[in-house]
Amino acid sequence: MSLELVFQQALNGLSFGALLFILASGLSLVFGMMDVVNLAHGAFYMLGAYVALSVVQLTGSFWLAMLAAPLALALLGLVLEPLLLRRLRGRHLDQVLVTIGASLVIVDVIGLLWGRDVRSLSAPPGLDGSVTLIGGVYPVYRLFVIAFGVALAVAMSVVYRRTKIGMLIRAGVGDAEMLGALGVNTNRLFASTFATGAALAGLAGVIAAPVFGVQPGMDTDPGLLYSLVVVVVGGLGTLSGAVAGSLLVGPADTFGKVLFQDVALAVIFAIVALVLLLKPTGLLGRIRVAR
Amino acid sequence: MGGFVKNDLAAKRGYTYRLTRRQFLVATSAATLAACAPGAVTPSASSSAAPGKAIKIGLLLPFSGVYAELGTSMRRATEFYLKQHDNKLANRPVTPVYADDANVTATGIAATQKFIDQDQVDVMMGVVPTPLAYGIRNAVHAAKLIFIDTNAGGNALTRDTTNCTPSCKSPYIFRASFSSYQISYPIGDYLSAKGTKEFFLAYANYGFGTESAADFTTGLKKNGGTTTGNVAPPLGNADFAPFVTQIKNQPTKNVYSFFSGADAIGFIKSWNSLGLPAAGYKMYGAGFLTEQDVLKEVKELANGAITSLFWAVELDNAENKKFVADFQKQYPLLPDVFTVQQYDGMRALDEALKALGGDTSDKDKFVKALEDVSFKSPRGDFAFDKATHNPIQDIYIREVKTQNGQTVNTISDKIAKVTDPGK
Repeated sequence: MSLELVFQQALNGLSFGALLFILASGLSLVFGMMDVVNLAHGAFYMLGAYVALSVVQLTGSFWLAMLAAPLALALLGLVLEPLLLRRLRGRHLDQVLVTIGASLVIVDVIGLLWGRDVRSLSAPPGLDGSVTLIGGVYPVYRLFVIAFGVALAVAMSVVYRRTKIGMLIRAGVGDAEMLGALGVNTNRLFASTFATGAALAGLAGVIAAPVFGVQPGMDTDPGLLYSLVVVVVGGLGTLSGAVAGSLLVGPADTFGKVLFQDVALAVIFAIVALVLLLKPTGLLGRIRVAR
Repeated sequence: MGGFVKNDLAAKRGYTYRLTRRQFLVATSAATLAACAPGAVTPSASSSAAPGKAIKIGLLLPFSGVYAELGTSMRRATEFYLKQHDNKLANRPVTPVYADDANVTATGIAATQKFIDQDQVDVMMGVVPTPLAYGIRNAVHAAKLIFIDTNAGGNALTRDTTNCTPSCKSPYIFRASFSSYQISYPIGDYLSAKGTKEFFLAYANYGFGTESAADFTTGLKKNGGTTTGNVAPPLGNADFAPFVTQIKNQPTKNVYSFFSGADAIGFIKSWNSLGLPAAGYKMYGAGFLTEQDVLKEVKELANGAITSLFWAVELDNAENKKFVADFQKQYPLLPDVFTVQQYDGMRALDEALKALGGDTSDKDKFVKALEDVSFKSPRGDFAFDKATHNPIQDIYIREVKTQNGQTVNTISDKIAKVTDPGK
């Protein structure tokens, strides 16, 4: 590989990683806060993409879709959390089952409403061009994705560390029962956390659509598969873990796929296996004390 | 009585199949009844395979999973053909039995066994993924069930192979679609004969993609052409930028590719956003790269791509014009290549049944009648190769152009009567 090629592939890897971070952030948030592995996260991501598709078709505005899709998913999350998850608090296997069930229903409803055609979304005007970098032209949209990923990580980190909501979330992760005893409405906190996770999945659906496409099957691959990989590799349930996971998985998967293309499908699992072997908690994971 | 008729019919056809306990009870009690009161058996029931009785067609298609749209399209084609023909093939009314394989090989194999044992279908059609077609080959062959493959294009299904691995031809298996050789070898041969001899390969890394790339390369080498390297993303790849970046960093400008559906869209979009057209790279491929499902999403981004397929919606012949017009009267959309494959499969079956006067009781005659079928299809002249049961068909060289706001495959040349070599 020439240096130019390495540079270009590193950019590809970084932008892929940024997309993975946006995709995985919601899953990580919900897991960290609620101790729920939301297996409907991929279906939320898919629904976000299809909502975006319709909004773009109706209004022609990608930016409006970037507002509407997370909003729609947040509403869905606000409905689903009390309906399905609240009564199952602490029962992990039941939660896993119920979120798988929800994802099956969502995916089928998407099929009914939008059809099972392969679709796609274009980058919005202004971001659909290219700029000249080392080794030729590079799509502006992928640079935007990197910037957006960084901005999202910073914003989440600020909210998490510097605001009252962040403090409540951190307290909830530590001991939800105690938090409730202190007079915080944990039901509302959990519902809004779940809704935020869903909204982030919806946002990922919009932002990833011009790169990953919009098609049946996207809920599992890349949706759920990659977000689980990022969260597991980075360390369960922490923001810094999701950042570290996507920064490793994005470039590693990109370089792995082109260097070892005969085993491209296995590259991502090799990364997971290697990380878990060396550090079973993930890169930045901490040991969770059973509560 | 129903059980008796079915089993009698099956015996006449030479079927061997498992009998369920219920079928056994129904059959034996019906037989006993019939023996006690022979007058109760109506003439039509005793000559059950005679013309006029409903013919049962088992259609194994994906209605869920990633290929759901293909399955829906092929079901539509079946219904369309039947609607045009009063729900009759020759003189026999048709009972279609649909089964969903959900793109899972095991599910499809189980559904095939159900067609054989329980539904006792007269003919089987459909099958989208090649691994499934290979997977059911032995069961279909053993049951002597006539199977008209209307999509899966893996070469081995209609070939002589060593130890029948991964599959091999059967007298009972016909193919109304194409073999991957037919959509890959001729364009390699054609391009190298025209002087474009050096190609880089980009293909989805699964059975069908590697087969297409290999057949293209063989065609290329016939006239002294060469390939200079390849990229092979996994099937259903999410991000194509890394692979297109690899293409951009090597000097061979002509790229032959095999992608379809979402992969084709992802590939073509990355190809453009990374500036390959401006850098002088040119896209070639098997026709699925630029079929309507892809073109409606990528539009003019695909302009200039040269692909080969046995059909295009724009194909200028009387049958195709009528086919497209009639289809659009029934449905608010254009027919796609899967529609044509299934429609031709129905037509071939119809023609064979007409030649037989609707009598499918003699399996060998049925096979012979299908072998003799030939007709003008929307794709051009259609006939089965007697040696392989793969179609002999014209292959069109097509170039994507945007005309009057519509991005279409324009026909630039034709390679007449392409036959699969059969081994």
